[in-house]
Amino acid sequence: MKLLTKTTLYFLLIMLPVFGAGAFYLYNRFNKEIAHETDEELLNDQMQWVRYLDTTYVNNPVFSISTPEFNIHPTSAPVQSKPKFKNVKIYQEPEDDYAPFRQLTQVIRINNQNYELVLRKSKIEKADLVDNIIHVMLFAFGGLLIFVLISNWFISKRIWKPFYKSLTNIQQLQLNKLTKVNFEQTNTYEFNQLNATLSSMTSRIHQDYLNMKELTEDAAHEMQTPLAIAQGKLELLLQDESLTAEQQNSILLSYDELQRLSRLNHNLLLLAKIENRQYPVAQHLALKPVIEKYLLLFEELIKEKELQINSWLDPESHWPLHPALADLLISNLLGNAIKYNYPEGTIEITLTSTTLQIVNTSQLGAIPSDQLFQRFKKQQHTYSNSNGLGLAIVKKMADAYHLQLDYKYEDGKHHFRVVVAV
Amino acid sequence: MKVLIIEDEPILRANMQEYLQRQGYICEYAADFRQAIEKVSEFDYDCIVADIGLPLGSGLDIVKELKSQESKAGIIIISAKDALEDKLTGLELGADDYLTKPFHLSELNARINAILRRKNFDGNPVINFNEITIKPASKTVLINNRSLTLTGKEYQLLLYFIANQHRVVTKSALASHLWGDEYDTAGSYDFIYTHIKNLRKKMLEAGGEDYINTVYGTGYRFG
Repeated sequence: MKLLTKTTLYFLLIMLPVFGAGAFYLYNRFNKEIAHETDEELLNDQMQWVRYLDTTYVNNPVFSISTPEFNIHPTSAPVQSKPKFKNVKIYQEPEDDYAPFRQLTQVIRINNQNYELVLRKSKIEKADLVDNIIHVMLFAFGGLLIFVLISNWFISKRIWKPFYKSLTNIQQLQLNKLTKVNFEQTNTYEFNQLNATLSSMTSRIHQDYLNMKELTEDAAHEMQTPLAIAQGKLELLLQDESLTAEQQNSILLSYDELQRLSRLNHNLLLLAKIENRQYPVAQHLALKPVIEKYLLLFEELIKEKELQINSWLDPESHWPLHPALADLLISNLLGNAIKYNYPEGTIEITLTSTTLQIVNTSQLGAIPSDQLFQRFKKQQHTYSNSNGLGLAIVKKMADAYHLQLDYKYEDGKHHFRVVVAV
Repeated sequence: MKVLIIEDEPILRANMQEYLQRQGYICEYAADFRQAIEKVSEFDYDCIVADIGLPLGSGLDIVKELKSQESKAGIIIISAKDALEDKLTGLELGADDYLTKPFHLSELNARINAILRRKNFDGNPVINFNEITIKPASKTVLINNRSLTLTGKEYQLLLYFIANQHRVVTKSALASHLWGDEYDTAGSYDFIYTHIKNLRKKMLEAGGEDYINTVYGTGYRFG
């Protein structure tokens, strides 16, 4: 849920009950206040009437009057000291409906005669008043609610703006282009702190990245130079014509081992570089020419083993890969498919815009998939010139560049599949 | 032919010097950036082999310096860092070739040879080795003036052999020269033998001598 939605929702959750309770309370107060007012008016009327009746009817006439508002008739009930109030509904002829009235009843004594005095006041007007007040109140409350929500929305949006800016900034970061990230100065203390922290963090990460990169390259330098020296010395030594066959062989063995060591070093560095993502994806690369290049390069090996190659290559397959990585991917997968194949075996290559599949026959059985992509996990009886890093490199590349790498063994064939993750 | 080797590692420099001198080059050297700049400003060289990582400066700056002098020397840059950027920058600046350490001395020699061939025999480039004549422009090979039909690989092999004549060339050096370093992802060097057998057969049939000597399974020596 977005921050803005969240604050708005919380606001709504808090405001609604508060406003509801407020409205309810006010409504009750109004009602009570108005009822009280009516009762006071009725009481006032009653006092006026009693005073009037007391003074006017000295000659003992017995009277009985009945109107909706004023009603008096003799009764035998005992005198009541306090009037009684109650709500009643009286039938109104013109409207053909019952209307609410507030009624005061009291038995009083006038000239030794007990009367029941009933006074009524219509509540219709008062009810209208309450209605009006409620309407106005609801309107005001609703308006207030909407106003508060909108202003909250605007304020939040404005306040969080630097935050979102920093967020986009960070999302767009690329490790190799991390030189200087610009976080703008804001007028919010917390955001300035956040930006300062992010700034120092990114520059630290960048520094680490640079150190790492430098280390891998320096390590290469430091290792390759002694290797080059030793290899050169052996190559020169080989030229000595007084060497015996045995000596020459020993030199050659050392020479070849040195080369293996150098390749191993090279591949380990490659792994580190891929892990550090030192091969940025600059553009989409057509993979078909790469496959064709390696088919041509390996042509003689393929001929020698009399392998049958079937390929379905979509020329429109452009993959998000650095050219060096595309070379690595194809040379390793295709190289393995040739190296571990038996004579007169087959290799099927399928390339689409999202999938590369290489299926090959092999003298090797199913490979346990938990070992397949591990470094230095060589299969038994493989060639000594394998250093067990090829598939580890492919796997690392897949992980670092969002490619999905699958392996399965079916119908006596190895299936390697690379899928571009969408 | 004068070659300047710019390399700070003395033993590596000595290796290169020894191999190249045996192939008939006059070799001079510079051990750091300043020496190198002095040498290239004072003398003319046919080819310059420059390490990128030097004390007091970068080999790439030497390439710049040479280009600003409009030097005609061929330039090979050597780097221990197998960094793509270095290679691209180097070639962009005007270097003719790029080698990554460690390299086969025979490969360095072949590359120098190729560059000198391209640079020096502008009009009429011809390579002679006894009865063998090679015209690189048309990629034709003549033995006793009779033309020889070679495959691309056989032709490359012959050029490499002649560049490294009288030297033992290892199979791995041949393989990486003909197919590149990626080749060992796919298998063995065994069938280099096939190409050599075919080359030898064609040359013998054309009436040439058998110059390709097998050296105890180590490699081959031409001449």
